[in-house]
Amino acid sequence: MQCAGLAALGAAAGFLGAVLVLPLAGGAADSDSQVTYEALNRFGAAFAAVRADYVEPPDDRKMVEDALNGMISDLDPHSSYFDPKTFADMQVKTSGTYGGIGLVIAADQGVVKVVSPIDDTPASHAGIKAGDSILAIDGRGLQGLSLDKVQDMLRGPSGTPVKLTLLRGGVQKSFEVSLVRAAIQVEAVKSHREGDVGYIRIPAFNEETNDGVMTAIKSLKKEIGPHLRGYIIDLRDDGGGVLDQAIAVSDDFLNSGEIVSTRGRKPEDTQRYDAKPGDIADGKPIIVLINGGTASASEIVAGALQDHKRATIVGMTSFGKGSVQTIIPLSDGQDGALHLTTARYYTPSGRSIQATGIVPDVAVAQGDEATPFAKLERPSEADLPHHLTAEQQTAAAPAKLNIVEPPPGNKSDDFQLAYAVKLMDGKLPARTASVH
Amino acid sequence: MKRFAFVGMGMVAGFSAALLLFPSAHGANDSAYKQLDLFSDAFERVRADYVHPVDDGQLVDSAIEGMVSGLDPHSSYMDAKAFADMKIQTKGQFGGLGLEVTMEDGLIKVISPIDDTPAARAGIKPADYIAAIDGTPIQGMSLNDAITKMRGPQGTKVTLTVLRSGAKKPFDVTLTRAIVQVDSVKFHREGDVGYIRLSAFNEETGSGLEHAVRELKHQIGPGIRGYVLDLRNNPGGLLDQAVQVSDDFLNSGEIVSTRGRHPEDTARYDAKPGDITDGKPIVVLINAGTASASEIVAGALQDHKRATIEGMTSFGKGSVQTIIPLGEGGGALRLTTARYYTPSGHSIQATGITPDIAVAEGDEDSSESKLDHLTEANLPGHLDAENANKKAAPPVIHPPAGKKIDDFQLSYALDLLRGKVAMNTTGKTAAAN
Repeated sequence: MQCAGLAALGAAAGFLGAVLVLPLAGGAADSDSQVTYEALNRFGAAFAAVRADYVEPPDDRKMVEDALNGMISDLDPHSSYFDPKTFADMQVKTSGTYGGIGLVIAADQGVVKVVSPIDDTPASHAGIKAGDSILAIDGRGLQGLSLDKVQDMLRGPSGTPVKLTLLRGGVQKSFEVSLVRAAIQVEAVKSHREGDVGYIRIPAFNEETNDGVMTAIKSLKKEIGPHLRGYIIDLRDDGGGVLDQAIAVSDDFLNSGEIVSTRGRKPEDTQRYDAKPGDIADGKPIIVLINGGTASASEIVAGALQDHKRATIVGMTSFGKGSVQTIIPLSDGQDGALHLTTARYYTPSGRSIQATGIVPDVAVAQGDEATPFAKLERPSEADLPHHLTAEQQTAAAPAKLNIVEPPPGNKSDDFQLAYAVKLMDGKLPARTASVH
Repeated sequence: MKRFAFVGMGMVAGFSAALLLFPSAHGANDSAYKQLDLFSDAFERVRADYVHPVDDGQLVDSAIEGMVSGLDPHSSYMDAKAFADMKIQTKGQFGGLGLEVTMEDGLIKVISPIDDTPAARAGIKPADYIAAIDGTPIQGMSLNDAITKMRGPQGTKVTLTVLRSGAKKPFDVTLTRAIVQVDSVKFHREGDVGYIRLSAFNEETGSGLEHAVRELKHQIGPGIRGYVLDLRNNPGGLLDQAVQVSDDFLNSGEIVSTRGRHPEDTARYDAKPGDITDGKPIVVLINAGTASASEIVAGALQDHKRATIEGMTSFGKGSVQTIIPLGEGGGALRLTTARYYTPSGHSIQATGITPDIAVAEGDEDSSESKLDHLTEANLPGHLDAENANKKAAPPVIHPPAGKKIDDFQLSYALDLLRGKVAMNTTGKTAAAN
């Protein structure tokens, strides 16, 4: 999940570049470095064989970039290699708006899938759906390309056309969609009243998200007045984003205690983030809506509010992306950078979100997600090849969810939201406590 | 494409891994060192900082796989286990399902079920996708891993989850593994015409063909009008068998040549005198599933005007892969090292063999089904032709609307041999050669 990636940015220096070229100078090598040496030697042998015998003279640079891409992307679905151009572009693009079509995408090794189309973008206007596979861009197949390359192909100046070849579950033939790139506004928080309930939609976590949430709460309080019953925070299809914004949003509603911790391989990598006093919602009830597209930073918010019993989580089990990626530039970025998974998130109660996701307190389906075919179309973290396992699994096997389904025939526009509003209005029993 | 691979199987021994370790002596250039430095740098970063410790061997396996499969769709890496399995499998019999498969969009796509195998009997069809094997999703598996999973001891069961065009939902098919005897030659008489089907090129194909021709001559007698050689959905196999089959019908001249990067890699195969069919007319049937070794036969017989090629344009796999072992315990590369050229000097690569008479079985030339039926030119990263045959495709003859003909391409071939429709091969198309 590209957008979810940049949670922790840091550069690491001081590598051992000489291992391959200088064979075991000291002779006092331990067995570990012997194994490493043999592995690198094997790579060297393959590299030499291709250079010598491939049908055409190969490009050394491309070979190594393909090798890095293969090595890193096999680790887990979120680790990847940025080639120098992608890395340079990325540093420019982290600011503000960009020309694109508005898709959050994930790689399923070889298959690029739509996690969610961003509201109000060319992609959502063209009817591109979560779970669609992108086979080609402007007629060019995507096999073997890194996610960043794909992202790069989708981006471009506003007003330029781009053609996607898509495969959709249930539609066996691939089809083409032509779009015109537009300036994609980093997505803004939106809000409106649902009767006496304040509804807040967070489509992603970017630099402006927390300000947006605070503004939304202020204006909802003013609009609804003293009868305000509570808030619904909609994190459905929110693919995540910046970690500090997830922490700030959680902190808005919590007075104290841990929000999230990240733990890496070494104890000194562990970081803990705590809430400061103050609850901008004045302790009013909160319902958080989640679904299979709720990932990463969104899951941190849902997990923190759930563990502190500050909110009732309604919807379907979230995606389960509980890992942190770090950007590690190679040769100061001249050789690109690694986007490497270096740590896991843990919720305040010590649960890892990884692969399990956040299990809702009240499981409510929207009506289209529980079929086996939907599972094939829309993978969760646990379905991705080589996903990290949870490690700190809660001992109890995940309880079989008692899912509330929309009544047949009764077409509600947004059944989950309607259910949350009723729950808030006290028209339904909140069966929350027993699920924990 | 797993079984296309062995056309040029040969072990390249004694490559020098030492090249990398002793810089100046072997003249490796600066660029190579710079790139290897970059690789070892990244390798060290991953070892030091990844969220949990990773196996060095696994890292390097993934790297080599990424490097080699980025070259073209037929180059790949076999890790030590896959390489060991392959050595066993090429010895002959294995328990399997009898599927020719390729990788597409991260799923396994069926090219064709092999006749008389569990897959064919279970009704698996060309262009079916396999989404899961025994409940394990295919996504993220390499083609080799998937093939290994489908194989196993004879008599054991395996469940495939199949996605089929037109079917709304994936469905499960349970098959029992069997010894897949790749019985590559079948034949029968069609009245006064001898029909011979080659489904693959393995060690027995040449002798099987010679047996088939003898039998057909005996059955039909002196009134025999000619032969239909059916190479449809034949994904290829061994190069020497393709050469032998071509030679059976040719008296002299070049059959095929392979050209690599270095002049010394060029190999040329010539026909020896003798035509086992005594110069009788031959119609060769091809379609988009005709690939590799099959295309060598079709190309040779077409260039020498020994046969009329009928059907649809072939797949276009005109490259040779060589198995290059990486030293002890290190697996092997399956590396594209050369291209094929037909006797007239055309590369089959990406263009395929254009039929002399284009005859469709159904609607396979419509734009929609082209997406379903992949060809080499559709594969991402395919090699270019370099010296392509720019022959214009002849107009396509379709089965008459409303009339159900079981195998229209075959029935058209029989009409050709019996003179009911014109054999226009020597006329118009000769100029294009």
